[in-house]
Amino acid sequence: MNLYVCIKQVPDTETKIKVNGDASGIDTTGIKWIMSSYDEFGVEEALRLKEKNAGATVTVVSAGPDRVVETLRTALAMGADNAIHVELPETADSAMTAKALAATLKKEAKVDLVFFGKEALDDGASQVPQLVAAHMDIPAVTVVCGIEYAGTTLKCKREIEGGSFEMVEVSAPAVIAGSKGLNEPRYATLPNIMKAKKKEVKAVKLADIGVSSADQKVKMKNLQLPPPKQAGKKIDGDAAAQAHGLAVALHNEAKVI
Amino acid sequence: MTWQTFAFLIVAGSALTISGKRFALLYRLLKAQTGKAPQFKDFGKRFQTALVNVLGQKAVLKDRWIGMAHTAIFWGFLIISIGTVEQFLMTLYSGASFEFIGEGPYSLFIFCQDFFTALVLLGVLFAAYRRFILKPKHLGQSQDANNVLMFTGGLMVSIFMMNAFHVLGSHPSYENAFFISKNLASIFGSFGFSDETAHNLFTVFKWIHMSLVLGFAVYIPGSKHLHIVAAGPNTFLRKLDREKGMTPINFEDETVTQYGVANVSQMSWKDALDLYSCTECGRCQSLCPAWNTEKPLSPKNLIVDIKKNLHQNKEAILAGKTEEVTHIIDDHVTEDVIWACTSCRACEIACPVFIEHTDKIYDIRRNLVMMESRFPAEVQSVFKNMETNGTPWAFSPSERANWADGLNIKTMAEVGSASDLDVLLWVGCAGAYDDRNKSVVKSFVSLLNKASIKFAILGTEETCTGDAARRIGNEYLFQTLAKTNVETLNRYAVKKIVTACPHCFNTLKNEYKDMGGEYEVFHHSQFIAHLISEGKLKPQKEMNETITFHDSCYLGRWNNVYEQPRSVLTSIPKVNLVEMRQNHDQGLCCGAGGGRMWMEEHHGSRINVTRSEQAIETKASTVATSCPFCITMISDGMKTKDMADKIQVKDIAEILDSAT
Repeated sequence: MNLYVCIKQVPDTETKIKVNGDASGIDTTGIKWIMSSYDEFGVEEALRLKEKNAGATVTVVSAGPDRVVETLRTALAMGADNAIHVELPETADSAMTAKALAATLKKEAKVDLVFFGKEALDDGASQVPQLVAAHMDIPAVTVVCGIEYAGTTLKCKREIEGGSFEMVEVSAPAVIAGSKGLNEPRYATLPNIMKAKKKEVKAVKLADIGVSSADQKVKMKNLQLPPPKQAGKKIDGDAAAQAHGLAVALHNEAKVI
Repeated sequence: MTWQTFAFLIVAGSALTISGKRFALLYRLLKAQTGKAPQFKDFGKRFQTALVNVLGQKAVLKDRWIGMAHTAIFWGFLIISIGTVEQFLMTLYSGASFEFIGEGPYSLFIFCQDFFTALVLLGVLFAAYRRFILKPKHLGQSQDANNVLMFTGGLMVSIFMMNAFHVLGSHPSYENAFFISKNLASIFGSFGFSDETAHNLFTVFKWIHMSLVLGFAVYIPGSKHLHIVAAGPNTFLRKLDREKGMTPINFEDETVTQYGVANVSQMSWKDALDLYSCTECGRCQSLCPAWNTEKPLSPKNLIVDIKKNLHQNKEAILAGKTEEVTHIIDDHVTEDVIWACTSCRACEIACPVFIEHTDKIYDIRRNLVMMESRFPAEVQSVFKNMETNGTPWAFSPSERANWADGLNIKTMAEVGSASDLDVLLWVGCAGAYDDRNKSVVKSFVSLLNKASIKFAILGTEETCTGDAARRIGNEYLFQTLAKTNVETLNRYAVKKIVTACPHCFNTLKNEYKDMGGEYEVFHHSQFIAHLISEGKLKPQKEMNETITFHDSCYLGRWNNVYEQPRSVLTSIPKVNLVEMRQNHDQGLCCGAGGGRMWMEEHHGSRINVTRSEQAIETKASTVATSCPFCITMISDGMKTKDMADKIQVKDIAEILDSAT
């Protein structure tokens, strides 16, 4: 069983985000990078599946600049067997990333399952898993918070709108994008951290997989931070006066009615 | 040569062979332990402590009444043993009596025998009264203890009986020296025993006594009474200084593949000696904050259970089949037991034979965390925050110095070198990020300014000392953080550090040495007390307050600082300092040490509430603390008790700042 997990390196959630000089992205100086936490569900799920299936291997794949190797090592420390670094520029968008990941995976001998997190913690785009599945022509199940395995069939529990769940059955090979509730990701043991330091990370260049800057569909031109949060406003008076005040504010200030 | 010689040779020979084999097994088990024992030096001090605590019974006497009973029994045993040796020798060869020392000295010797036999008997009677009538909770019920009391009591009774019939049957010239047995003899004399009958009865009781002694020798190795052999050496090999750092692991050494203790054989021989020394007196348990709030941890049971585990695995350990040794976590030493410890060290302070409980807990935690990734789920985010942000809480390292905005405090980066400063202020994560503790640090800064102290902070270059990671068992993470800090501190040639956090204080002072960081470290209570004594701070405003001081474990029990924080408070005019019923080294932990600050409290009642109740009892209007965790925990406790608006919880720096 060949299990793959695509992981993204993102700024730590406590980072104070600053826009870079030409407003084409964020200023990365001094940022502490971590594995996007939804991707940890993917790594954990693959590792648990491997532990139940002798001979299974888990390969983690990350696309991005050289620093993502550090995050690949985090996944290796959790217990993944192999790691692939797809060398992608900082500015790559979801389309380019998905194409590069899919092209890399297609070069692998056999792919049974590809795990992802449901979205990245930084841009929250929720696009790459589905796009990779489309490129590979395999099904994708997203926002998965529980899986029952029966041979090559997976019964996936999906979280849908309104706090409800739906069950989706899918056959491998497939893309699974995990969400909170799927499992509790492990903390790496020290022997695995030590081993992970010595493991080889395979590097894949864009030219090797036929991906170029032309595959980037979205370019950031003027990235802005959201405006600082305004203090709340209290509308005084009796119920009628408050209702009137609210309606006026919604119409004149918020311009929503 | 009489029948007695032959009989004795057979009985004593077999008893001592069995006993010897049992002791040899214990020795081999101890030798087979694979863990690294500490290095022992300062033998002069060791002899001194052994003298004071073994012969002088100092630690035992901390519990006065039972301590006195124990001292009586202990000294009685030493003296009576001389008589027993004479008895054994005379049974082998009747001419071997010690009478050759002269009639006077021999009479004194006999007098002592009688006197100490009575003393031991009194001691045993008191111990029995305590165990069966008073029944202190921490003692528990133990057949082993009952057996030991019966053995000891039986021995004394048999000595008196033997001596009485000796007087009655043989009328020795020194019979007046038997000042108690002689009275017993006169009672028996009224039954009209012939000399011969009395002599025969003497022989009977002598054999009863000798059998009891030999039986006891066989019994001891398997009993808690083993302490009579192990506790002496354990006292000699005790940790001499109150301050102690945890033993670092050398991660560079690639031959080491096991971190911490997964099975009992991975402990050190000194740990095994600790196990052998435990007498199950329960003093550790009676002072343990976990046990006293119905947690599954009892330090006594922990030691007893690890000892059981050692014995259950003896075959595998002695055969060198360490892979067959069962896990240290078993039905008794559960994970809950290991995680319940607040590392307050009350157990070690209470232990009269100097067992080091916390080291064992830390070693077990190290294995659970680093080898098996087994720890309370809520701790994972703490580790991750420390890894990425250098603080146990989820805050950005870039905001570490925000608390100092507008206070005109220089950073080391601005100052350049520590040589131009009086001291470096180590803020700590709580002081930097937690609103309540920011105010503590600001008060301390205000005091430093009032005393014209030149100081600076590391600002965003400071990172968590790693204390919590280390206590929880993540030595690797601790060392990563420690090395970063030591590198920063050494780069600025920092020599003197002051901090308002006892956890940072302990780590910087006692543990960074092993990481290449040698500094003179002060807790702010020591620093402020010094400034007051130098006249640089003058508390003048009257307070009219009754204040009770809550001892922080890492200040008190770990570093022996009890008086300075109190002196800071009493330096303020009209402050009435009152003590809680548990104070100084008997103080009750707030519940947050040992990484417990970040763990849920699932079992029993809450430690911080229990401590707050003790503070409320004093009727003080203010609880003074000197630790960021304590202030948080006690404040929460007061809220739970609905006393938050009646009793203030303040750091000593805040209290003093308002009085200067």
